Amino acid sequence: MAAELNLEALRNEIDQIDEVIVRLLDSRARCAYAVGRLKHELGRPIYEPAREAAVIAHVRQVNQALGGPLDGDAVARLYERIMDEARRIQRLEADRDARDKAKSDSEAGL
Amino acid sequence: MKERASDTEVEAVIASLVEMGMDVHRSTGASRIVLGVVGGGKADPRLIELMAGVHEVLRITQPYKLASRTFKPEDTIITIADLRIGGDEVIVIAGPCSAESEEQVHVTAAAVKRAGAKILRGGAFKPRSSPYSFQGMGEAGLQLLRSGANAHDLKLVTEVMDASQIEVIGKYADIYQVGARNMQNFTLLRELGRTRKPILLKRGIAATMEEWLLSAEYILAGGNTDVILCERGIRTFETFTRNTLDLSAIPIVKELSHLPIFVDPSHGMGRRDKVAPMARAAVAAGADGLIIEVHNDPDHALSDGAQSMFPSQFDRLMAELRIIAPAIGRSICLEPVARRGWAR
Repeated sequence: MAAELNLEALRNEIDQIDEVIVRLLDSRARCAYAVGRLKHELGRPIYEPAREAAVIAHVRQVNQALGGPLDGDAVARLYERIMDEARRIQRLEADRDARDKAKSDSEAGL
Repeated sequence: MKERASDTEVEAVIASLVEMGMDVHRSTGASRIVLGVVGGGKADPRLIELMAGVHEVLRITQPYKLASRTFKPEDTIITIADLRIGGDEVIVIAGPCSAESEEQVHVTAAAVKRAGAKILRGGAFKPRSSPYSFQGMGEAGLQLLRSGANAHDLKLVTEVMDASQIEVIGKYADIYQVGARNMQNFTLLRELGRTRKPILLKRGIAATMEEWLLSAEYILAGGNTDVILCERGIRTFETFTRNTLDLSAIPIVKELSHLPIFVDPSHGMGRRDKVAPMARAAVAAGADGLIIEVHNDPDHALSDGAQSMFPSQFDRLMAELRIIAPAIGRSICLEPVARRGWAR
């Protein structure tokens, strides 16, 4: 009975942590979106391998200091997913820009 | 990616995939990196395969659309009057290789009907390997075949070799057959796509299943949705048989496509004594139908005599198939007329 109550409590805690994670992911995605716009203005590519490597190295370092059950490789794999999605956000935005440009060009009779 | 692919190689591949407008999912495993690629771009997988560090490129989606089960999950059932092809009943097509004479067509048609066949086969325009072999009777042969089919309440399938024959064959036949040699005659396939009669599409002698389904796609893309695939043997190093009958095509095609699949054990084996075992195996493997050469006098046939069965052999085969089909939940010609033939 006590074990069941504990399980319930831990699951509630996970639900609350998930809410925080999703909020943080949302903030991160908004940043990635803004970065995408700036990259576009500066004419830089969506995929910047050096930056992705730096992000992974950074999160590995942060994780190592915590010393929890997630090892560095696990954190790197999770971040690969997160960056896949960030790249996708930037790609969708670039596609939209290209479409808008094509549309305004054709309206302008270019 | 290869096990020893460097970071630079991986980065170069991701960069070019992103440039193509693809979304990349990078997964780092214990020994190698897998890149999942999603997108509507027209990337040529071979271009990626050529890049340094790439181990292999596996395509997940098929190049054919209309023929694939993803597009249409339920089986296609083709209806010709009261006949349903691709349903529970295994449909047997039988008859001579070529129409030769009125007597030959009528005697053979009567024999195959009695045994339980539903469709008469027979060629009027024959694609022979040698230009000096018997080339068929032409329209006169079509007339003979149609009258033989009508006299015994059979449907008729005959081969169309060229787009110029579509109209004349359409006057007589219920199903157009496209032979193995014409499987990749794309102009013919396009023209047949415009017709509204079922097409029996034989597998090319050296065609992969994907190429075969792409040929079906040509017909489907023209708006003709009634395509029956027919395995007839592929060329291998084996010389004992005429071709190697690829029965593995049945379960594979059934998974990849919603189209019915038939098997032609006569051309696959090239010897009448080997036709029955392969016909039994084809039904057991799940074929929707068979196409078998039967001749009233095979030893004097003008073409393919060696692979044509005697009517008595065909009778026996049909009786065996009636035992096999129910084992996999199928039926095969259960009408009383056929039972009489079985008991004989």
